[in-house]
Amino acid sequence: MTTSARRSKRTEALEQRPVNLDGFVEEWPEVGMVAMDSPYDPEPGVRVENGVIVELDGKPRAEFDFLDQFIADHAIDVEATEQAMAIPAVDIAHLLIDPRATRKDVLAVSRGLTPAKLLEVVKTMNVVEMMMALQKMRARRTPANQAHATSARDNPVQVAADAAEASLRGFRELETTLGVVRYAPLVAIALQVGAQAGTPGVLTQCALEEATELELGMRGITAYAETISVYGTEPVFCDGDDTPWSKAFLASAYASRGIKMRFTSGTGSEVQMGNAEGKSMLYLEIRCILVTKGAGVQGLQNGSISCIGVPGAVPAGIRAVLAENLIASMVDLECASGNDQSFSHSDMRRVARLLPQLLPGTDFVCSGYSSTPNYDNMFAGSNVDAEDYDDWNVLQRDLQVDGGLRHVPEAELLAVRNRAARALQGVFAHLGLPPITDKEIEAVTYAHGSKDLPPRDVLEDLKAAQSVMDRGVTGLDIVKGLDAAGFTDMAHSLLAVLRQRVSGDLLHTSAILTPELETLSAVNDTNDYAGPGTGYRPSGARWEEMKRLRHVVSAQNPEQEVG
Amino acid sequence: MQRPCNVTPLTVPGVTTPSQVDLDPGRDYPLAARRPELLKTPTGKRIDELTMEAVLAGEVAPEDLRIAPETLRLQARIAEQSGRPQLAQNFRRAAELTALPDELVLSIYNSLRPRASTKQQLTDIADELESAYSATLCAALVREAADVYERRNILAS
Repeated sequence: MTTSARRSKRTEALEQRPVNLDGFVEEWPEVGMVAMDSPYDPEPGVRVENGVIVELDGKPRAEFDFLDQFIADHAIDVEATEQAMAIPAVDIAHLLIDPRATRKDVLAVSRGLTPAKLLEVVKTMNVVEMMMALQKMRARRTPANQAHATSARDNPVQVAADAAEASLRGFRELETTLGVVRYAPLVAIALQVGAQAGTPGVLTQCALEEATELELGMRGITAYAETISVYGTEPVFCDGDDTPWSKAFLASAYASRGIKMRFTSGTGSEVQMGNAEGKSMLYLEIRCILVTKGAGVQGLQNGSISCIGVPGAVPAGIRAVLAENLIASMVDLECASGNDQSFSHSDMRRVARLLPQLLPGTDFVCSGYSSTPNYDNMFAGSNVDAEDYDDWNVLQRDLQVDGGLRHVPEAELLAVRNRAARALQGVFAHLGLPPITDKEIEAVTYAHGSKDLPPRDVLEDLKAAQSVMDRGVTGLDIVKGLDAAGFTDMAHSLLAVLRQRVSGDLLHTSAILTPELETLSAVNDTNDYAGPGTGYRPSGARWEEMKRLRHVVSAQNPEQEVG
Repeated sequence: MQRPCNVTPLTVPGVTTPSQVDLDPGRDYPLAARRPELLKTPTGKRIDELTMEAVLAGEVAPEDLRIAPETLRLQARIAEQSGRPQLAQNFRRAAELTALPDELVLSIYNSLRPRASTKQQLTDIADELESAYSATLCAALVREAADVYERRNILAS
């Protein structure tokens, strides 16, 4: 036996660790397999002539691809750019972390920065500095969270119950998507109904192809939209069948119907789609962020999102993911900051990956957190799921950091799951959709996932889903159905959500509805962090709520749980 | 189906236009709570008329749950005053698009996809936006796209 063939017991133990199931690769800058530091990224620079940017990051206007042109003409403030670009990157980074510089001070500079300059700024920062900066630059003062509610069988009853539970646990936005796309109308209705069963004012969306997603929004079956993807190179943008102009038009289309929306992008998508033009993942993502800004969209879902395996595999990849969240926030966009798609087999690594967003707080810490077990998550799993609820609540309590959730006693959860399913039963009956049986309601009340539920008649459901579209069912019909079934409070709450589109208040940056149905956005809840003792800190009733866990013992009587 | 519309804001004596309303984001936002008197649906209803009772009495139609162009222009001013000029511009384009039927909005979006339209087709869309809907900002966006698509060779061949 040779020494090389013999493995130590320690190596054997380490080989068994879940982290070694994760994928890691060497950097390869030529194809864009590099997080944020590629020798092929351009040098920062800008030249303005007669009020027009004629050179951007070393490229003359005649050679601009369509992203360069859109960013130069719509995202960068021509009046501010030369002065802002003259500031050394490290000084801008200092501005970001210095609590005496306000968020507004940073925005006065960031509005004039080019993609390469923004990259240069964050390259001077380590993750702790980036978290400091994110704490100040988050647009909305109060952080929030978003959940996924999906079903491996596209079961609307399950989606309604999980939506209700997620809503009661504190999520302010809920997102669904489908295994079988034709199921969308029924599942979107279920999400809308379930959301209002928990706490009022939770906003819902259904991730679909762009045009279909808009149609559901226009009908009031969903309340907002998020999966409006943008990409960092021209060929990949075209492969996504869009351009910055088509996406800008789509943004206005949503606003014209009073519907909140944000774009989606993330590091790694270009290299995954095979055309990164040899640029770093973060440089390309910064171009996406500035396209979003230029289109006049209020916010962005980023943080690699469905490509997290790509930055996750290269050195400093998770630092780059934090940097993209920071840059979205520092150019004054709402940031729904990822922590969604499954990322690692290692529990340690899953937590380490989410702390940079959880600790400073973002507009939506997850986009989203899976409200189901992993097997039911139709977004290919999430970094955190229903089985992590208690861990999340403990993290919040340990660190006194607000991740938007709370512990809810089982009896309340059962009640709200049951109520959501019964409300959906009533709405389906009102709309002439396939019946939901009492047996299904009983099962979903106590279920963990779709395996615990009786199967539905999928063919009948799909026929009904088509009829929802053909008959022109709208959000108003759901309101009437809820009222007819005796769920008047939920009917009121949903009508309040629909009425929001008349006022347009939710169209502003980082807007959410509170459980009291008040609009909270960067306009009336501006982040005012200015160092220790300032900004959002969980206190009062919210902190008392965060102290509660599944098992907390009485200080007076260790035998007694106070829950 | 395309139909002309007549919602172009006109300055009528005695009628306040969005640009004349005194607005302060700190004082007046959210409009639904702070300045409900400024909010009307495109069908002319006040926001406080959109009650549950009215819904159940069949007095609220889906068209009543839409935003009016005047409201978008008010929100544009709030965005502008909050230091968000691009967001404001988006709201102004949106104000123009309120006049377009859903199908036309979707079809213009599809026409703007890469290699979906010739330059002439995009120019025709821009002309129609301007002449039939007074949508000058949206028309400018489409014309700009036509020029860029030509230069970057992503027009339909």
